[in-house]
Amino acid sequence: MNLEIITPDTKVFSGEATSVIVPGKAGVFQVLENHAPMLSALRKGEIRYKTAGVEHNYAVETGVIEVLKNKVVILVETV
Amino acid sequence: MGSLKEVRTRIASVSSTQQITKAMKMVSAAKLRRAQDAIIQMRPYANKLREILENLSQNLESSAGGAYTKVRPVNNVLIIAVTSNRGLCGGFNANVIRTVNRMIATRYNELNKTGNVKVWSIGKKASDFYSKQKTMFAGQSNTLFTELNFANVAPLAEQFMKEFVDGKYDHIELVYNHFKNAAVQNVSAEQFLPLQPPTSKEKPVNKFIPDYIFEPVKEDLVKELIPKALKIQLYKSLLESHAGEHGARMTSMNKATDNAQELLKALKLSYNKARQAAITGEILEIVGGAEALNN
Repeated sequence: MNLEIITPDTKVFSGEATSVIVPGKAGVFQVLENHAPMLSALRKGEIRYKTAGVEHNYAVETGVIEVLKNKVVILVETV
Repeated sequence: MGSLKEVRTRIASVSSTQQITKAMKMVSAAKLRRAQDAIIQMRPYANKLREILENLSQNLESSAGGAYTKVRPVNNVLIIAVTSNRGLCGGFNANVIRTVNRMIATRYNELNKTGNVKVWSIGKKASDFYSKQKTMFAGQSNTLFTELNFANVAPLAEQFMKEFVDGKYDHIELVYNHFKNAAVQNVSAEQFLPLQPPTSKEKPVNKFIPDYIFEPVKEDLVKELIPKALKIQLYKSLLESHAGEHGARMTSMNKATDNAQELLKALKLSYNKARQAAITGEILEIVGGAEALNN
């Protein structure tokens, strides 16, 4: 699936990812291939995403994630 | 027409001024490119956020926007005036100040008489102007433009949002230079708070609304997102103003360079005329002297 991580100042990541784990407001959850459409707010924590078997981390303050048709967009604020 | 030496010093001074304006123009062009890049960087975030908010508000029955959308009777007004820290950029700053003054004199005339209109200035030029009017001046933030990024702007937006919710102000207006292109900046006045509901231009009927899972529930999600949208709105206007400042400075410095060129041309002409006149005078003297000797 396609993953984009965007902050107001720059685009952190854009490309293919196999798995994304985000700190949702209601609890940490994982997004895999063919996830149902979803909108969720994020709380302070860490995004963990896997691209080609390699795991990356990205710290977030607050944010929002949109999952739609194998396209994941995460808007984050880092302070 | 001055003497030769006078003209020569003027030529020297004009051409050194021209060098300065040319350099300033070049610097502004480089800074303008950077400022434009920042706008382009911010755009995907702003667009996506607006898209999500539009989707959400279409899914919502009523506008449950919370405290930030509440329209109250207007008793206290805050006007945020965005200018630059430095001058030499044409009418850039004067336009903002004029627009703010006109706004105070017309729309908020009644409130102004009782001292309920305040101005918050961003940028030294507005601060210089409004800090003299003690009753009107609410505060200033001039350091934002030295390092303009979202993390620096967000706390200011939060402050305005808090003051609105606390009832210190009932209406917050944002006046800044909208960046159209390098040569054109339009002063625009936007309502910052209360937040106006997003109005999508296309008909919502034709638009496919995905059946989202919401986490937390929609109403809470909207409350989460609205402050973000407000912060982005302030950040966007600052970026626009920043790009506009450099654009305005570039054009005005370009004009100054052209004017200096024209001035130099005129000065060189009069210099050559004076030189020619001096030479002619000398020849006349020599010829006259020789003539006198021959006789």
